[in-house]
This record gives sequence, structure tokens and C-alpha cells, in this order.
Amino acid sequence: MLFSSITFLYYFLPAVLVLYFLVPARGKNLVLLIFSLLFYGWGEPVYLILMVFSITQGYILGRLIQRFQKTPLAGVFLWLSAALSLGMLGFFKYWDFLAGNLNQLGLASLPLARVTLPIGISFYTFQILSYVVDVYRGKVAAQRNYLRLAVYISMFPQLIAGPIVRYSEIEPQLASRPHTWEGAACGASRFVIGLSKKVLLANTLGELTQMFRDSGEKSVLFFWLYGLACALQIYFDFSGYSDMAIGLGRIFGFRFSENFRHPFISGSVTEFWRRWHISLGSWFRDYLYIPLGGSRVSKGRWVVNILAVWLATGLWHGAQWNFVAWGLFFGLLLAAEKLFFLDKLERHPVAGHLYLLLVVVFTFVIFDSDGLGDGLARVEGLLGLGGYPLVSGEALYALASYGFILVLACLGATPLPAALARRLTKRLPRLGAAVQPLLLVALLGACTAFLVDGSFNPFLYFRF
Amino acid sequence: MEWKNKIIILLLALFLGGFSLWSALAPDAAQSLTERRPLAQRPELTLETVASGKFMSQWEEYALDQFPLRDGFRSLKAWISLDLLRQKDVNDLYLVEGSISKLEYPLDQDSVDYAAQRFRLVYDRYLADTSCTVYLSVIPDKNYFLAPQGGYPTLDYEALIQSLTSQMDYARYLDVTGYLSAEDYYLTDPHWRQENLLDLAGYLTGAMGGAWSDDFQLHRERSCYRGTYWGQLGLPLPAEDLCWLTSPTLEECRVYDYETFAWQEGVYDLSQLEGADPYQLFLYGSKSLLTIENPAGDPDRELIIFRDSFGSSLAPLLVQNYGKVTLVDIRYISPMILDRFLEFQGQDVLFLYSTSVLNNSVTLK
Repeated sequence: MLFSSITFLYYFLPAVLVLYFLVPARGKNLVLLIFSLLFYGWGEPVYLILMVFSITQGYILGRLIQRFQKTPLAGVFLWLSAALSLGMLGFFKYWDFLAGNLNQLGLASLPLARVTLPIGISFYTFQILSYVVDVYRGKVAAQRNYLRLAVYISMFPQLIAGPIVRYSEIEPQLASRPHTWEGAACGASRFVIGLSKKVLLANTLGELTQMFRDSGEKSVLFFWLYGLACALQIYFDFSGYSDMAIGLGRIFGFRFSENFRHPFISGSVTEFWRRWHISLGSWFRDYLYIPLGGSRVSKGRWVVNILAVWLATGLWHGAQWNFVAWGLFFGLLLAAEKLFFLDKLERHPVAGHLYLLLVVVFTFVIFDSDGLGDGLARVEGLLGLGGYPLVSGEALYALASYGFILVLACLGATPLPAALARRLTKRLPRLGAAVQPLLLVALLGACTAFLVDGSFNPFLYFRF
Repeated sequence: MEWKNKIIILLLALFLGGFSLWSALAPDAAQSLTERRPLAQRPELTLETVASGKFMSQWEEYALDQFPLRDGFRSLKAWISLDLLRQKDVNDLYLVEGSISKLEYPLDQDSVDYAAQRFRLVYDRYLADTSCTVYLSVIPDKNYFLAPQGGYPTLDYEALIQSLTSQMDYARYLDVTGYLSAEDYYLTDPHWRQENLLDLAGYLTGAMGGAWSDDFQLHRERSCYRGTYWGQLGLPLPAEDLCWLTSPTLEECRVYDYETFAWQEGVYDLSQLEGADPYQLFLYGSKSLLTIENPAGDPDRELIIFRDSFGSSLAPLLVQNYGKVTLVDIRYISPMILDRFLEFQGQDVLFLYSTSVLNNSVTLK
């Protein structure tokens, strides 16, 4: 089920909210679990088995790790849990990629599984891994209550598109959490804003990227419009989902960490990744980069560590060579920045911003492409090397039709709208307070209108 | 500000809860009158449909189709897209000077080639060894007139016509583009207005060797017509008048419908004025094979029109010289079986197709 659907907004959400707030505190986790399983099973009911298996193995092995803490057996149980989680992820997400490539190279003749990727498997696998590793490290105690662990892993707000919530962050909230008017209002506002980012901006920008893909009249201008729209679409889609998740969590009394902080205003790739998909970046930092030695190793080893982390980051996004190239490209840039020119970028912020924006357009075009060859062809188009004309009629039409939205989206990707809203609320607190609820209802009405019209509503996370 | 938080919750809860209850309790509609299509109905809830995922996918469609105030929300979306977000089109539909049109580009050469192949098949199978005289006419869609005004991309019409005429060298091309303008089409529908086709019909009649009389009487049904684009766009545009032309000759004509094996009196089905699509008034709407019999026409002259829906409103104006006019729509009948119903010998044969069908000719059998 998608947040941006009539079924979720007008059937699922009211039902879960009513039941959740009707039942006493001790029943709230059970309501959350039942609805989370319904939410997950809505798309692929059969994969509920995987979800329940994952929760159960995380629960049992987590308890065993704690039981045998500081003995070799704890390590065995940790590796067993990691093998089960990663084995499942590997089979469903990477087997066909691996087997297909080995077969193509003539090194093997492996059968392809051709199974549908369980939605959100990359997210909940990482949550289980972080849980058992943290138990092993003694950072958190193993959860004795199965229901609470099941809620942590399966909670529908962050189940299919993150943020990747650490068990340590919400452990106390799983036991008890406050439910306040302020929390619910902030959460509802955040949810509606996220929904608007997804439905009004990302989906509309998605129409432009689709128009580019379908076009038989490409030009250099069209490639750049596509590149810009593509980067903004992915940002608003992904950050919109994160906003909705954080908002829903807040309504239910949880505090999830931020996942995006205006990444496009960054002045370097290093800063960009501190602002983009923060929960994933910090997960890889804590559970891969630092265990590999982090930066406290020789320079050569450090570069290898960086590339390993970014290879994994690329592959996490999808089992295709374009994601591998996308991740490694970022790894190389991050290493190069730290080794050679990060200080220069920080001294020249304008140049830094321009550099970052160019990197974003080129890398996200590769990210969005259908394979590495396609991605490189699109990069050629951006560079004017594909033999395309500078301008085409379709590109001019796309510019005329989507120009205003692109400007809105560019402004919306900066902290400007939030700053304006804060200033208005500060100067005219009563007016601000009166306008905000009406604006939220108007946005919800507009999103409903776009959804009812059955407009473009792609799900970008099927690979994750 | 605690009161602000409470108002936010209250308003959002009212909106979500209100529409949620309305969705759940309101009776389901069978069809959408504005979009002229059946609406999805509540899917069957069984273990099998749930396990296969069929229930869920059908439910998503159902929830969209049966949402309360659906047409109002669709209007809101069109307004936001066109007026607030300054988009040039909504779902490929655009508005220029009060007239709605649908983007149709680029030229699909394969589609034009396929249409030419189907026409060639008709020619080779039925016409090549006969004394039939073959004509071709291409009806430009509204974009031909509206798109340049509004800065919208269009088909390369010249290339389309050039391609088709070169592949149909057996037919004499009759260029009707000079007889049409944007005003000759309904504002809310792709079709043309019959009452504006007199010059065009006169030109075709003359080009096919007939004598032309424009002695027609205009009939008008006020504000009864909202075309297909009206429903698709969703903006609250006013309904249009629907007009049709009669003459003493047309009054005497009757129509044979090969689908029902029945004769109909008159070339217009006025009962359609009360229906979902009043344009179906012209020659009984979408029909695969019809023959108009004209007792006042020359019994030795016969016209066969291979046509799409544009032909329905034009054909009555071409009747006057012919004893029989037959309309064939090869979107609904295979050209391979036409000899079961028609004998091709000595007729005038007109291929009359709109650019929209030629550019999407997959519908041709």
C-alpha cells in the first residue's frame, strides 16, 4: 500500500487512527502491529511470511546473543542472524543480478529466480541487522517482548521507504510514549506536507521525466530539463515519503530521526551526503565503514574502505550496474574531496554549489537510467556528445509546460519556504496560526484531487 | 498555541473522516457520465482473491472510481495544473480560446504505414480490377488549427499526407484542409460540426462529379452537448448546442444496419439527444456497416465511404447525388469479409479518415 493512495488516506489511515486512539495504552502496539501487517500484506500477501520470519529470527537470536554475551556463541548467533537477513536480501534482490552476470561471462550456468522483490526488504533487513549488532555490542538490551520488536521492525510508517530507524532510538518509545495534541498536530502537518511534496511536485516532475523517456525528439536542452527534473523528482519523492513517515510516527507518539536536510544547498558532495538519506549514510558509517577501520588506517586502505562503503550504498539502491557506477562515482568524489579539494570548495561556496548541482544532475541521471549503457548515453546527451540538436520543439514545450513547476521545486528544495513560514508566524502569530490549518486542508484537498484523477503516481522504492 | 494544534487536528480529521465515511456509506455509481465509462465496482472478498492480490489491485481502482465528488476533484486538479502550476496541458488535454484539444504528436510513421497497408488490402482485394473510382481525404484534427496558436507541438501533417498519398497512388487526393478552421469543431469534442461542413461537402461532391445543393434546414438542440474532451479534462465548461441538417431528400432516406439486419427511418437518431453521447445522433453512432438508401438519388450512382466517426456527420451531406451510400468502418469489421455484404463495381469509393485515427491506426482491422 502506498501513502499516496486513496485506499491509504481514506480507508486505512482513518481506521488505524480511530482504533489506535480508542484502545488503552497497553493495546496500542498490538493495533500498530496488526495494521502494519495488513499494510505490508496489501501488496504481496505471501511476503508476510518473510516479514514474520525476519521478526522471529531477530527476536530469538537477539535474545540468544544477550544470553551468551561475551562468549563465542554470541558471535555465532550474530553471524547466523546476519546470514539469515542478508541471505534473504541477497536471494531476493541480488541473485538474478549475480547469476545473470556470471552466466553472461560464461563463468557459470546458474538458474534465475525471477521473483518479485519484497517491498521494503532493504529497509527492514537493515533495521534487524542494526538491532542484533547493537545487542551484540551491548549498546541495547535484547527486547524481551516479541510484540515490541515486531512493531519496531514492521511499523508501517517507515516500513517501505524509511527512514531506517535504529532500535536504540525508539526502544523506550516502544514501551511507552506520550500522545499529545502538539505531537499529533505536528505529525499531521508534516504528513500533509510530505504528501504534497510527493503528489503535487514529485509526481508532476515525474510526468516530465516520463515525457523525456517517451520522446523521439531529444535535444541537449531536453536532457538538461530531464536531469534537473529527475534530481528534483527523486528528492521530493524520497524526502516526501520520509516526511510522511516522520509525521505518522509523531502522531503515534514516536520520534524518528530526520532523513533529509535540504541536500541541494550543499557546497560539496561530502556535505550533500550529510543531508541526503541521513539514516542510510549513518547506518553504513556505523555498521560498515567504522568496522572496516574508518579513517584510522593508511591512506590506501582508507580509500578502499570508502569505495567499499559506496559500492555497498550503490548496490543497496538496486541490483544493476548503473547503481554500482552511481555509488562508486560518489565514493571517488568523496575520497577526492577529502584528499584534494574540500577546503577549496568550502572557501568558494558559489563554486561549491555549482559543482554540487552538476554532480547531482549527472549522478541522478545515471541513477534513473535503465542500466549502465543507458546511463552513459544520457550523460553523453547532457554533454552534447550524442549528436543531438541543441533545442527541439518538444524540449521547448516541456520548458513552457513545466518551467513554473521546476522553479517552484527549486525554491522548495531550499530552506526558504520554511524560513518564510517561520518569519510569518513570528511577525503575525495569530494570522499564521489561522492560515496554517486552512493551508493544510487545502493541500490535502489538492493531493486528493491529483490522486482521484489517477494521475502519474510511480513507486520509486520497488528496488530498495 | 494549543488551540491551533486542536484546530489542525479537527480540520484534518473532519476532512479525512468525512470523506472516509462518505466513501464507505455512499451507494456505488455504475458509470461516470462525464467520462462515459463504467466505474469499477466493489471487488469480491474471498481467500483466493486476497491471496492472489487481485482483491487489493481491484480495490485500488474501486476506491479511485467511487470516491465522493470525484468529478469535482478532477475539476480541481485541472484548475491547479493549468492555472496554479501553469502547465500547458492536463493529461495531454489543453484549452485554447475555449476549445479543448488533445496533444497528438509526434507522427507515428509505422501507424500511417499500417493504415496505408490496410487500405491497400481493401483496394487490392475489392477495387483494383473494377471500374470503381477511388478518392482519399484526410481530416485534420483540431490540433492542426489550435496547436500553433497555443504553442503546442503537433504532428507533421504535411509528412503524414505526403506519406499516405504516396502509398495510395490508386486514389485521388481531395484536400479538405482549406475548408476547415478551428470554429468548425465542437469546443468540447474532437469531432466537427455538421452545420459548418457545407462548403467542404460541396467541394467533395463536386470533386466526385456530382451536383451540389445547399438546401438544408438547420435544427438546434440548445446546451445539450458536452463532448468527450469535456469529461476527460474535467473543467466546468458550458454545454454546447448540437445542430443537425435536414433536407427533403434526407427526410426520405432510410438506413440499413448490417449489425441488426434492420432498416431505420431517417439518418438521424434523435433519441440520442437524451443519451450520454448526443453525437451518436449522426447515423446511429459507432456502426461497422451501414447503407443509406436515397430514393431521390440516381439509382445508378453509389458511394462507398471507408471512414471513422467523422464520417457519420458528413455522409448525410454527400447523399444527394447517390442512390446508395454505404459506410464501412474497418475498426469494427474486418475488411476480409466485406464481400459477404457488398459488391464492388463502378462505385465512387472515398477513404475518409481523421489524422487521429491514422496516427493511431492499431484500431484498424
